Amino acid sequence: MSKKKVCVIIPAFNEATVIADVVKDAIKQFDKTSYETTVVVVNDSSEDNTSEIARKSGAVVIDHIMNSGAGGATATGLRYAELNGFDIGATMDADGQHMSRDVLRGVDIIAKSKIDLLIGSRLIDSRGMSRVKVLGNWGLSFITRILFGIKSTDSQSGMRIFSRKALQKLRWKTSGYEFCSEMLWRAYQQNLNIDEYPIKAVYTDYSKSKGQNNWNGINIVKSLIKRRIGELFG
Amino acid sequence: MSRYTLLFLLNLPFVIIAIVSTITRYKLRHMGGRRTLVQLTIWTVILIGLALAAPVYNWLSSSGYTESDSLSLFDVIQITAIVALVYIATRLRSKTDALEQRLASLHREISIKLTRK
Repeated sequence: MSKKKVCVIIPAFNEATVIADVVKDAIKQFDKTSYETTVVVVNDSSEDNTSEIARKSGAVVIDHIMNSGAGGATATGLRYAELNGFDIGATMDADGQHMSRDVLRGVDIIAKSKIDLLIGSRLIDSRGMSRVKVLGNWGLSFITRILFGIKSTDSQSGMRIFSRKALQKLRWKTSGYEFCSEMLWRAYQQNLNIDEYPIKAVYTDYSKSKGQNNWNGINIVKSLIKRRIGELFG
Repeated sequence: MSRYTLLFLLNLPFVIIAIVSTITRYKLRHMGGRRTLVQLTIWTVILIGLALAAPVYNWLSSSGYTESDSLSLFDVIQITAIVALVYIATRLRSKTDALEQRLASLHREISIKLTRK
């Protein structure tokens, strides 16, 4: 049986401090497995040397010409995976909050099941997460449910695993962080099988400084409402 | 010609164009079913509103529910301008949306192609 091709996508913007560790850890984790893995860093027009460091660490680097936001960078990574015939795509954050072993666990689940989109949920077991973050993420998941009718415990998680079918079918329109909720909506519209599994998030001082705060959450809600209503009237 | 008839005739082209282009976009699969339904509902309500403006005003007036004057020529122009603006705004929004998507797609493809070299 041929090896399954897995593309681990890491959208990155100004992550020179941590990107080497994240890339090396992902490569090391998948090295021990039967998957044929490529780690792809989508450098979203960083102002530091994220691109060079990621390349030296062993990743394939796609450089965005202009900054497109997390949604745009993720879309580029998934399109690369689709064009290059990968069987499974996986996205993880570049700030080091996700553990490669959780990505591998998700890939194993997708490989053995008929799930098309698997969300790594930090809120199934939220120990170690600050109450403010739990509340913010819970609120956004609630809004996602109200607007799009999709039940998810962690609609904003950056760790997601995609089947080949999802790579081919999933498209979304927003480019900022609101893409996380919109992606679920589009997956639902495309009749893709969506599921979630528990993951652990590691919050270092660095990842806390890079993460989304609850004020940004308000912006996300605004964009989602605009998108939802715009789809009806525009 | 009464001002209500003038109002209807002036606005009719916008409503017809809007309805035809909505159906065309649906048939060409540029628009989903629910969005098409909402659009058609909006334009149909506008059309019915324009067609029934005179009888509704006459009924309200004769029943003593309103003492306002009937439409002036300025009112006719103002309502026509609003309907035209709604039509233009709707068209511009969908065109901007499509353009934004094409630009994002172009950026994505270029970035990937440049990586391969």
